[in-house]
Order: sequence, then C-alpha cells, then structure tokens
Amino acid sequence: MTEKVLFLNQKFDRPATLEEYRENGGYGALALALEKYAPGQVCDLVAESGLRGRGGAGFPTGRKWLSFAGRKQGPRYVVPNTDEMEPGTFKDRVLVNCDPHLVLEGIILAAYAIQADQGIFFIRPSYEQDAQLIEGELNRAREAGYLGKNILGSDFSFDIEVHRSAGRYICGEASAQVRAIQGYRPNPRKMPGLHLTERGLWDQPTLVNNAETLACIPAIVSRGPQWFKKIARTPSGAGTKLFCVSGRVVRPGCYELPMGTPLREIIEQEAGGMLPGSEFKACLPGGASTRFLPKKQWEVPMDFESLKKIGHQLGTSSIIVFDHNTCLVAATINLLNFFVRESCGWCTPCRDGLPFMRHLLLEIEHGRGKEEYIPMLRSMAGQMRHAYCAFAPGAAEPVLGLLEYFEDEVREHLSRGKCPCRFSDAGGGFRRKQCLT
Amino acid sequence: MPYLIIDNRHIQVPRGTTVIDAAERLGIMIPRFCYLKVLGAVGACRMCAVMFEAGPVKGLQMSCMVQAADGMRVSTTHPEAVAFRRQIIEWLMINHPHDCPVCDEGGHCLLQDETISGGHSRRRYTGAKRTYPDQDLGPLVQHEMNRCIQCYRCVRFYQEYAGYRDLGVMGIASRIYYGRFSDGALESPFSGNLIDICPTGVYTDRPSRFLARRWDLQRADSICLHCSLGCNTVAGAHYRAVIRQESRENVRVNGSFICDRGRYGHAYANLAERPRQSRLDGEPAGWREAAREAAARLKRIAAAAGHSAIAVLGSARNSLETQIMLRYLSHHAQWRPPRFFVNGSEARSTAAVVARLDSRLAAGLPDLEEADFLLAVGVDPVNDAPMLALAMRQAARKGAKIVVLDPRPVELPFAFDLLSAGLGDLPAALAVLVKTAVSQAGTDGCEAQEKAFLAALPGRVPDEKLQGQLGQAGGWLAASRRPAIICGSAIAGPELAGLAADLALLLQTGKTPSRLFYLLPGPNAFGAGLLQRGSRYFPSLLQDIEKGGVRALLVVENDPFFRYPDQDRLHSALGKLELLMVLDYLPSRAARAAHIFLPGATVFEAGGSFINNCGLLQYAAPVHEGGIPLAQVSGGSHPPRAHAPAPGSEKCPSAYEALLFLANELAIRPPTMDASPWSLLPEDFPGQAELLAHPYPTDGLQLLPRLSEAESLQTPVNLPTSGPAAGALTVLRVEQTFGSEELSCYAEPLRQLAGPPLALLHGADADRAGVRDGEQLCFEIGGEKVELALQVTNRMAPGQLIIPHHYALGRAACRLPAVVAQAELRGLTGQDSPDLPQAITES
Amino acid sequence: MLPEEIRHRLETRIAASAHPRELVVDVMYELQNHYGFLNDVALREVAELLQLTPLEVEELATFYDFIYRRPVGRFVLHVCDGVVCWMFEEQSALDYICKLLGVAPGETTPDGQFTVLPTVCVGYCDHAPAMLINGKLYGPLTPEFIDRTLEELRSISCDLVLCR
Ligand SMILES: Cc1cc2nc3c(=O)[nH]c(=O)nc-3n(C[C@H](O)[C@H](O)[C@H](O)COP(=O)(O)O)c2cc1C
Ligand code: SF4
Ligand code: FES
Repeated sequence: MTEKVLFLNQKFDRPATLEEYRENGGYGALALALEKYAPGQVCDLVAESGLRGRGGAGFPTGRKWLSFAGRKQGPRYVVPNTDEMEPGTFKDRVLVNCDPHLVLEGIILAAYAIQADQGIFFIRPSYEQDAQLIEGELNRAREAGYLGKNILGSDFSFDIEVHRSAGRYICGEASAQVRAIQGYRPNPRKMPGLHLTERGLWDQPTLVNNAETLACIPAIVSRGPQWFKKIARTPSGAGTKLFCVSGRVVRPGCYELPMGTPLREIIEQEAGGMLPGSEFKACLPGGASTRFLPKKQWEVPMDFESLKKIGHQLGTSSIIVFDHNTCLVAATINLLNFFVRESCGWCTPCRDGLPFMRHLLLEIEHGRGKEEYIPMLRSMAGQMRHAYCAFAPGAAEPVLGLLEYFEDEVREHLSRGKCPCRFSDAGGGFRRKQCLT
Repeated sequence: MPYLIIDNRHIQVPRGTTVIDAAERLGIMIPRFCYLKVLGAVGACRMCAVMFEAGPVKGLQMSCMVQAADGMRVSTTHPEAVAFRRQIIEWLMINHPHDCPVCDEGGHCLLQDETISGGHSRRRYTGAKRTYPDQDLGPLVQHEMNRCIQCYRCVRFYQEYAGYRDLGVMGIASRIYYGRFSDGALESPFSGNLIDICPTGVYTDRPSRFLARRWDLQRADSICLHCSLGCNTVAGAHYRAVIRQESRENVRVNGSFICDRGRYGHAYANLAERPRQSRLDGEPAGWREAAREAAARLKRIAAAAGHSAIAVLGSARNSLETQIMLRYLSHHAQWRPPRFFVNGSEARSTAAVVARLDSRLAAGLPDLEEADFLLAVGVDPVNDAPMLALAMRQAARKGAKIVVLDPRPVELPFAFDLLSAGLGDLPAALAVLVKTAVSQAGTDGCEAQEKAFLAALPGRVPDEKLQGQLGQAGGWLAASRRPAIICGSAIAGPELAGLAADLALLLQTGKTPSRLFYLLPGPNAFGAGLLQRGSRYFPSLLQDIEKGGVRALLVVENDPFFRYPDQDRLHSALGKLELLMVLDYLPSRAARAAHIFLPGATVFEAGGSFINNCGLLQYAAPVHEGGIPLAQVSGGSHPPRAHAPAPGSEKCPSAYEALLFLANELAIRPPTMDASPWSLLPEDFPGQAELLAHPYPTDGLQLLPRLSEAESLQTPVNLPTSGPAAGALTVLRVEQTFGSEELSCYAEPLRQLAGPPLALLHGADADRAGVRDGEQLCFEIGGEKVELALQVTNRMAPGQLIIPHHYALGRAACRLPAVVAQAELRGLTGQDSPDLPQAITES
Repeated sequence: MLPEEIRHRLETRIAASAHPRELVVDVMYELQNHYGFLNDVALREVAELLQLTPLEVEELATFYDFIYRRPVGRFVLHVCDGVVCWMFEEQSALDYICKLLGVAPGETTPDGQFTVLPTVCVGYCDHAPAMLINGKLYGPLTPEFIDRTLEELRSISCDLVLCR
C-alpha cells in the first residue's frame, strides 16, 4: 500500500468534512507553521522537498516562492489555479471534491509563506458545483478561525474568495488568468524581464500555483521535506502525483501514486488494463499538450525528468489511452479542433498557424493529402515553439508525436487516398469511425 | 550603454533600447507588424524574429521583446530566422482577401512589402477564408476588416495611447474583430491615425477613397494650420486637389500623430466656391492688372490724404514671409503699421505671450508628456488644440496629476481634476493655487522682490469649494518635480498670460521649477505677435476709418467679418473706404465686399514658414501648383477626359508674391527683390539674423529670446475676482474640435461630426432661469435668428452661458450679446422672443 | 429593465469592491441569468453598472464561451467534444441528442427548453462521454441515460444554477 498524501481522506462518494479532515491531522501544519516557522522557512521547506508545479510546466515551487523575498511592499495575492481545461485532465476536480480543506490549508500556508493578503480561487464554469462546495467550506474554515483576521490567534491575516471564470482554456495560463481576474481580455501578456511574482494582479506580487501543487504543502510542512521527497519512486521525483487515466481502459479515474510510477503499471494495475477487445496503441502521457507515446516506451517512470529524457513531458500527468482502432490522424484533428477554437488570438503562429495545420490534416484524413503536407506539418509544428506563450507549442506536441511515431499511418492515408482505420464494435456503447470536418 | 553586434556591425545604444530599435539605428529594418516605437512592444505578430547567436539571450527570439545587452551577437539573416518570418507571412496571408487592386493602402502597404520581402508568393493554403462584415465608422475612416492581420496596433493606439473607449477587439482565436460595439462615427478626434498605423488596408482615408493611388499623389511636407501647435503633416495632391494628409513625425512637436481636424481640415483648398478670379470693381481682371490698378489707387490716396491714410490687416494664418512683407511694405510706404488680429483681446494676449515666453520657461508638447503635474488654465484641450490633450494623456499614463482650471465642462481622455471657475475668476484662482504651492514648498530661494510679489498675490477666492480644491491642487504642485502650466489665450485675456509667466518664474525660484506652455489664436499668431510690436489693434483702426483718417485698407488672408461682433458697424465702416483691397483664398464676406480682389494661394500651393505656439519656426513646402481641380473642370468624371485650360486655373499668386509685385509697382525696392524674405528680417529681429540662415533645419528652429532676469515678475498684482452682476450670465464664445475653426470648418466630413449648435448652462442657472436641458434657445438679432440647443450640465462654472462657435450659425452669431440676463433666457425659448438689445462689447 | 433588487445587490457589491472591474464576469452571469442570455439591453446595463463602455463589455462577452450573446434555452447542453469523449462518441452522443431534440448543434428547441452546444473538454473524462447542463456534469452518456436525463429536466421547474 503506497503512502497517500492527497487522498488520505478519500470517501469516494462525498467530500471529506472539516471534522474528518481535522481528525486526520488537518490544519496541524498551519498551526505548526504559524507557531514554529518564519514565512521564509516555509519557503525553504518547500524548496527542500523538491516539489515541482503540478499545473503542467513543472517549475520548482520553492524557487518561485523564494523569489517573493524582497519584492515591493503592499498587498500580495495567491491564486490557486483550478481552471483545469486541458483535455483529459480532471485531477483538480477530484482533489477538491475529495478533500477541500486540504487544498485550502495548502493555500493558506502558501499565503503565509509569501505573506499574501488575499487568495483568489479561480474556477472554470464546468466546475460550478465545486465552486459552490468551496464557498461553503470557506465559510466553515472562516468560522473555525483558519481564515480571516489573525488566523489561529497569530498576527497573520488572510482570506480567500472564489472567482468564477466564463470559460476558455487560455485562462489557465498564469498571466492570462491574472488579466481575467482583473476583468480584462485574458490574453497572456509579458513584459520583458517582469514576472507575475513582481507585477501580477493590480501590479502587485502574485503567486499562481496549481491546486494540486498547493495541496502538497501541508504534508511537506508537517511531515518534513525529506519524507515528501522520498515517497517518490525515482530519485528525480518528489512526492506523490495524481494521475488521471482516461480513454480505452477498464477503470478510468484519478489515482494517487508516487512520482515515478511506471506508465504501464498505472494503466495495467490501477486502471485495470485495456477494455476488452482494445489493444494499447498510444497514449498522451500528460494531457492534450503532450506527444503521443507509443507502446515501446510505456515502461517509462512517470516523473518530469524521466519523461524528458525520452523526449516527452509529464504535463498534467493525464494519461489518455488510445486503442488500435483509433485513427491517430483523426485524434490529432480532434485535438487541433480544441486548440484552434481556444486560441486566444493574440499571436500569429497560434491564431493562424494552427488552423492551417488542422486544414492539412483534414485533407490527409479525407484522402486529399499530398506528400508535401508531411514536411509542411513538421515544419509548422516545429515553428510553434516560437509562439507567444506555451499554448501553441503544446498544441504542436500531438502533431509532432504523430509524425515521429506514426508517420506510417499518416502515409497510409496518402497512399490509399482514404483513412485506413477499421473498427470493431467490441467496445460497446457509441462506437463508430468518425472523421471530423 | 550596452554594446552589441548586429549582422556583424557594432553598435552602442542607450540602456533599455530594444534590439529592433538598435538594428534600426544601423539602418537594418527588421520586419515587424505589431511593433510601433510609440506604442511599445507586445510581441504579438512574431514577425521580428532574429537569431541571437551569442550573449545573455540565445536562440530565435523576437527582437522587439529583447532589450539590447552587452555581448549580444544578433543575426537578422540567419536561415532559421528567415524561414520563420516567411512562415509568419504565409500564416498572416491565409485569410487575406487579395484585394490589392481595389485597396487604397496599395503601394504603401506594409503587408504588401513584407509579403514580397519575406518571399511568400505561392499560396499553399487551400482551405476556406473567413470573412467579416465591415462597420460604418463615420465620415473619416473606412473599415475593411477582411484585410486585417490582427496586429493589435489599432486598439493599442486607440485605447491605450489615446484613451478612447469605443473601438476595441472582440471575439477570440482566428475570429478576432476590431471595431465598435455597433456602427457609428468613431468618438476619438484622433481616429485618423488608425489609417497611418494600420499596416494594411483595414482603416483607410474615407474622404479620399478611390481618388488616387498613393504613388500618384504629389506629396510634400506640410504644417497643419488648424491651431497654433504646428503639427507636421505630409499633404498629398492629385489632379489639382489636395486630397489627403498624413501625420509626419516630429519629436519636437506632434510626435507621430495628428488630430482629425488637422488631417481632414484641408478641404477649403479645393472648394468649388473658392474665389479664383481677380476682380476690379466687381469685374474680372487679370491679377497683375488688378494689382497694378491697386498700386495706382494707393498712390493717389497717399498723395491726397497722406501715407497714413493707408492701413494693412494681415492675420495669424499668414505665413511669416507674408507677415514680414506686410510689415516691410507698410514701413517703407509709410503706411500705418500692420494689424494682424481683428479681435483686440487676441492681439493683446498674443503680445503678452510673445513678450513673456523665453527659453527658461518654454515647454514643448514632448516636455508636457514628461511632466508629473500639469495645470491647464483657460484651456479646453480637446476643443482648443486637440493634440495637446494627447500629450497630456501621455503624462497622465505615466502617473502625472492633472488639474484643469476653466469655466467650461472640459472632457479629457484621462483622469483629471476639473476646477470650475468663472472666466473673471481665472487669474485669481491661478494665483491662489500657485501661492499655496510656493508657500508649502518653502520660500527659501526667493529674493525680496519675489517675496513681495508672493505676498501681494491673493490668498483666497470667494467660492469656498473652489478655495478647497485650489488648496489641494496647490499641494500636488508643491509635491511635484516637473510641473508645467498650460495657459490658453482663446477665452482669457492677456492678464492671464502674463500672470502665468510670472507664476512659472516664481516657481522656478522655488523648489518646483515649472515650465510654461501657451496656446495662441492661430498657426502663425506667434509671428504676428512678433511683428505687431508697436502697432495698435483693429478696433482703433475701425474708428479711424469711420472718422475718415484711413481711406484704404489692404486685407491679406483675413476676414474681419468672420468673428467681429458688430457686423453692421464693420460693414458701414468698410463701406466708407475709398479702397478695400482683399487678397485671400477663402470665399469670405470681405472678399466679396472688396473693390479690388486678388485670389490667394493656400499653404499647399505657396508653402511658407510658420511659428508655432512654442516659438518654433517651421516650413511647409508647396505641394502642388494649384488651379481648379480637374474633377471640377470635368464635371466630376473620373478620370477627366478633357484637360482644356479653364478660366482661373492659372496659378494664383502667393500673398508674398503679390505683395512683392505691389511693392515693385509702388517703387519700393526691397533690399533684395529676388531673394528670400529672410533678408527682410533683421529689422524686426535684431540680433537674430544669423539664426535665420536659410534654409533653416527641417524639424524647426527655436526662435525664443533669452530674457534678462530684470524682466520677470511684471504683472501688477491686482487680480479681479469678478463675475457678472447677480442674475447676469457672461456669454463665452469658445472653440470646438470640429466646425468652429476658420479653415477646417469648410470640410464636409468634419461638419458632419460637429453636431448641432449648442449653448451650455449650469444646472443652478438653468433652474433659476426656468429653462431645461434640450430646449431650444432662440436669439433674434437684427432680423436674423440664431438657434441653439441648450445643454444643462453641472460640470461647468455657474454664471456663464457657453456658446461654441459653429459654422452653421449665421453671421448674427457674431453679435451674440456679451452678457445675458438670466431672466431673459426663459423668453428666448419661446416663439415670440423679444429682439435683444444689441449689447455689443469689444474688449 | 433589471429588477431593483438585482440592481441593488450588484451595486452594493460593486461599491464594496476595490477594483470593480474584477466583477465583470459575475455581473455578466447575473444579467445573463436574469434575461436568459446577455442581450444588448443586458450588455448595456453591465456597462453602466461597472462604468465601462458597451464595447468594453463586448470585448469580454465575445471572448468567453459561457457568456451567450444569442438566445439560449432554459437548459444548455454543453456536449463534450474533447478527445476522450470523442473516442467514445462514435455514434455520437451529440448526433443522438440533436436527433432526439430535432435541432442542429448550436440551435434551441422551439419550446425554448434546450440548446445544444458542442463544448471543449468539460473535465469529466473519467465518465466519458460526458456533458454539462447548467453547471452540472452528466456521464457516461448512453442513449438510455440521455433519454432519462432530458425527461427529468423537462419536469424540473427549479432555478438555474449560475453557469449554464
Ligand atoms: C495554455 C495554458 C493553459 C494552462 N492551464 C492551466 C490550468 O488549467 N491549471 C494550472 O494549474 N495551470 C495551467 N497552466 C500553467 C500555468 O501557466 C502555470 O504555470 C501554473 O498554474 C503554475 O502553477 P504550478 O507551478 O503549481 O504548476 C496553463 C498553461 C498554459 C500555457
Ligand atoms: S500562443 Fe499566442 S495566440 Fe496562442 S494562446 Fe498563446 S498568446 Fe494566445
Ligand atoms: S514586431 Fe516583434 S512580435 Fe510583432
């Protein structure tokens, strides 16, 4: 039985209550930190733990926090990022629904560490039920003295409000999120040499962290950074990770496992293996913004560094599993449909380049492809890395994976003049070959 | 100062310079769409990618987003960079309609240029293009969204730079749409700049749409004549008509932009009713014949009644050359010295400004942008001189506090404090504000004379609320480091101008050295101010005409009827003259009344030098020969089929040329008949002749004297805090952005934007008078009616009835009374309004 | 016209906010729920409440997909077309729903009850294929489940949740 950090209080049919959370030591870390640690020491603990951001980019959390030391005075903000609109990703929803107070305690600890005054819980519209849940639990936390003025009798004051988004994947990007909260068009914006940690919300220092990242903090504080680091299965990893498994597996769901658990193990053991009649063809190991990963690589330990070594990314560690019947050209078109629709329209590669790429793939899927489309796609997908933000490079990843590992399948579309994929009806339910237009 | 290498060439640039600008200094133009120096970098288009080969930044990066740093080695021609930029162009073109043959941007289109230079010529995208409906953005700017490449320049200029909020970006992804919420004229008086900054043909010049290709235009550098700021333009003419103006960069004046009054105000040059025929006693004549006859009559009059029976009226729109020539002519012919202003208050204000503005004090628009506190007094920037508002906004964006002290309901595209004071209270209010500031900042640096001056300044105004506001603003002024005072001349008299200079000087001795910025009544009012020294003003001249002392009047590019209050008196006085000679290019009333009329040439035909409000001498080059536009000759068919010479299409003489001819006829030999007018200057600019080596620098020559200290603090400290008597309303005639200025009010598209004639009244006054917002005020003067829509607002000073000048108001509007009794207003809204007494005062 | 009670509530919130503009999405939602969609009247009211111009509100309203500038039904069926649901959707829940309701994607049933909108991944991939109806997640979708759900919704008279 592996150690649980995030799903310690999992009840499966309902969220853990404040009482249940407290029974298992909840809010102990907060009391400990307020009593024993200076804010800077909390940052040090987090840095020592090796925790890396769970929002997709994997930036070392401690390093981000430590940069707040010496920033200008005045209000500071913490933004728990619960936008979670990356296709295939649903871990933050499960997490919040499982143990809301764990997330809240993490936020409060982060706020203490960087001396923030206000937290803004950014939630996507599809998670309206979770927004309401959090609002309720925020009240409870407030009544119990974990939020508001002079938390637990200390001189630290902090409160959290919920900001409802009105949709759009780009709102998950940190600088776009900051603009969205302020009521501006949520284009990512960068000023040369200026980070959000210096000038974020209302030009004040602002910390944006993924909800899962923040939920790791209480355990780091109460059980120590070394303990946290060591529960990973690989030396390059730290802590546990929520893995979302979806697609053609028996038990899709969100599983907490040590960092570095091999991909195959997650699919075969946790998710119960492939659906009857389905064979593993490929997966996206970290959500829609990562490359297709073929079977030959599925022993890879799931942590940031191990995946990077073989040319992949952990992303949001959302494993989307495709079976042998799925046309990966069509799947890529579906992914591009998403990115084309959600692009914020700020920069040229993303706004105009992605529709061009989608057009080329559609031509191929419909049997109208030309030989020259393959190098065109490869070159355009490569150019995406020079877009303004990480959105467009992410959108290019599945295309690059398609061309890297499944070029033969693409070529078969060209040589046959149609999509070569067949279907069996073995999966049951809705099952039909579908070409998108 | 970072030192870097771009394309194997070394350059050192100031810290903070972006790589794209550093390259430009080397003459390397890195392709770009979204980047504009004035708007700053946003990195949206990704067109400016270059390769960073060594140094702190590595790899392919956007040169607009990276600041130059030591040790950088940059290649703009690296194959990867070239390939990426080519790809960007291809992406940008996938939805473009390829409608260059019918696009007015064609030939000066950045998208065309970079498509070609990027090497994109074969279309590989075979999918559908997305298309958009266009919007009607009003009479100035034509919208064509399909050509858009989403560079965001327009909204960044419109919203961020200029501060207007009715044009923006809607939609998302590849369906981004730039426009308004719904059809309608753009609200910004700077909207025409969209045309200049859009890198393709989304926004084009609407009045000149389809009239000419850019490369077919005769283009030349010009100066805007529609207020005193002297913004730089490029004017373009085609088939003898001036059809388009663009802004021309001058970092000492307007920066990169111009206002819409300046851009579209040129229609007067092409008017069908523009007088093109010389007339002698009502009959057509050749201009030389007419001028010769004028000379003969002038000689006769001089012989009979003496030289001083002849007078000259120039104007603030004369070029400096013309003004100098007028002065020279009257001096040598021993006529009366020339007058340049019909309005006595304008003449005196200008004299005060010219006397007081020196190099210690004078600020230019760019200085205002850098100020941290701006105090505008007697100024309504958007209406008086729109580009002033744009400069003030830049200061506001950088955090400057801005205070406007004025009776009008001033609106500006940024946050500011409006301190409402009646016209008569402006000087006292200004003095109180500055006195507060100087007292707060400490008077350590002040000498006895300054202390005495300070002590003599009033410390209070009667209005309690205003007193509080002045105290607060004084505190801001005291706390500022780079303040400037902006002082208008249109509504307030010369006392205010003098006081502003004194107060700025007083501040200079203290801890907050202030600069000073005046507005003047006309594009070359400064020149007129310099040259009118010693001469008196028009009203006294009128008296002399009435008494028979003056028998001949030579009017050059002026229309005394345009704004003179007592039209009947003017009419009968001018009727007494033996000779009224008028030279002008406008179809003015004076021109029609002249015994001898010579058609003039506009600035686009004659060129000329003008001194702006800051004392900067600038040159407007001739753009075309002039003559009747071919479109008029050929009845509008395009292109005209017949090119036969038409009557009057002979080139009109410039005023300068005509005056030279006249001087010759009068046997007054200018020192150098053939040379430039500058040779006439020394007489009027003692000690500055050497400055005026011709040609002077193209971006202008500063003509400000360095005054001696002794001349400071001259204003007698005896400031009125006078309002009209209880129950009376001071009538204030003011400018508005469109439709009031003498030249631009001929432009049809600007007339459309001018709105109906208005009168503005404070809510308290309206209540007392029993009139309501929206009612029609009807003045009947001398049988003529003036109708004004009443607007009631509490954002203005009480005790005033503010009436903007308006082209649609008849001549009777000139004679609106100076004071109206509150009690009368009610009657004015009725049908049977009493004929008002002609209470005409000339200050 | 906005009922006094809603207007008052919003004005109070706005007055209490240090940065009123941050409330723009909430205010849009609120008016959208009142009017059924964010019509021009509502949009102008949002602008007036927050001292924005209609254009500034439109800039935001047209960015977000959960702000409806065109009429929608009482229930908005956001049918997920994310990649996971797509994998399970081949006979297409979207097709099925459209056929059942007799509308095309993006359309509203004539009785004003349902609008069908294909939507990006709704974050319910572990229950694919999924959809979101007025802020509530539904899945995995089967024809029977869809029939049942729509039937239930028809009989509901309760208030709509915030995000539809
Ligand atoms: C297009 C795009 C979408 C993103 N969406 C999310 C998101 O939904 N949730 C999230 O936590 N981070 C998201 N991110 C990453 C954030 O920009 C940011 O890196 C992250 O919130 C930082 O938190 P972390 O360090 O805890 O991971 C997104 C990034 C991009 C480029
Ligand atoms: S890559 Fe460009 S257009 Fe795409 S989301 Fe980022 S900034 Fe917007
Ligand atoms: S000019 Fe640099 S990205 Fe547009």
